[in-house]
Amino acid sequence: MKHLFFSLLFLFAGAFSAAAQNDAITRFFDQYAEDERFTVVYIAPKLFQLAAKIETDDEDWNNIREVVKDLGGLRVLVADSITDGVALYKSALSKVPTNEYSELLTVRDKEEHVRIWTKDSGNIIEELLLLVGKPDEFVLLSFTGKIDLDKISSLAKVLDVKGADQLEKIKSTKN
Amino acid sequence: MKAIQVFIAFFLTVNALQAQDLGLYWKYKDYDGAIAVSVPRWATFIGASFVDEKADRKLVRKIRKARVLFFEDTSPFSSRDLKKFVRKAKRRGLDELVTVRSGKTNVRILAKSRGSTIKKIVVLFSSPEGAGLVTVKGKFRLDEINRVIEKSRKEGKKKDGGIMIPDVPKVPVIRA
Repeated sequence: MKHLFFSLLFLFAGAFSAAAQNDAITRFFDQYAEDERFTVVYIAPKLFQLAAKIETDDEDWNNIREVVKDLGGLRVLVADSITDGVALYKSALSKVPTNEYSELLTVRDKEEHVRIWTKDSGNIIEELLLLVGKPDEFVLLSFTGKIDLDKISSLAKVLDVKGADQLEKIKSTKN
Repeated sequence: MKAIQVFIAFFLTVNALQAQDLGLYWKYKDYDGAIAVSVPRWATFIGASFVDEKADRKLVRKIRKARVLFFEDTSPFSSRDLKKFVRKAKRRGLDELVTVRSGKTNVRILAKSRGSTIKKIVVLFSSPEGAGLVTVKGKFRLDEINRVIEKSRKEGKKKDGGIMIPDVPKVPVIRA
């Protein structure tokens, strides 16, 4: 009885802390959701599901469809005419639960900071988090679902979102 | 007894109509400055005859009902209205597809689908230039929508700077 009680307690505590960690990113999104300096985009899983059902002869689209069909959702927070981009980058960086995400890529080029993390479950990547900070620009992008790193870079061309071009870097890292 | 039946029928009809636009259209359609248009099926069917492209015409013919509510230079929708709207929409089987907020501009796109058919699309937008609601009911296949989007994208590309080849006028030639 005692064992069962403690097992349940640990299970509950574990689940609660995982949710709290995930909430840190969500809270960051929510914090700036109403801030007019930022552009907020949310693409629901349903749109990806619908897009995956579109059949065409377009070869580019068919490649992208493979990626899109397993995507769960996309959240983007972008600001491109700010002065505190690097400070925002550092603030977001401190909120990423590093024990939960594994770092995939880090680039620091003069004043540009780029970081990409992934959250894995076994061999499956469940979340991809992209963070870009420049003095005048800030991007936080979160993909959820079943993500194929080899193919996700192909979305960079399709997504007309600032910072999405950084996804191309995943491809160059893999090569 | 008949009066009660008529009352119930009227109540149900009004409720069903309001349900289509999740209350927002009916709440604001008589507001000062509102442009409210409700297009019935027969009108879209006739209107489709004036559409040149076959694919576009086919898509327009599939519209069962369309409603547009527009306000210029103002947005009467309160945040409470919008929250209520989204809550009601989800309860009625509409899924939120895209939400975008850029500066003071907000756009929400919701849809009701079954398999690869979209049965209802709702677009809600508000910005300093105006606000509005567009509801379209029908049976639209995804590949049909995609075909029209692709076509307009290609046409847009042509207009944006690509080479645009105008249609060559057919001049009747009489050969002796």
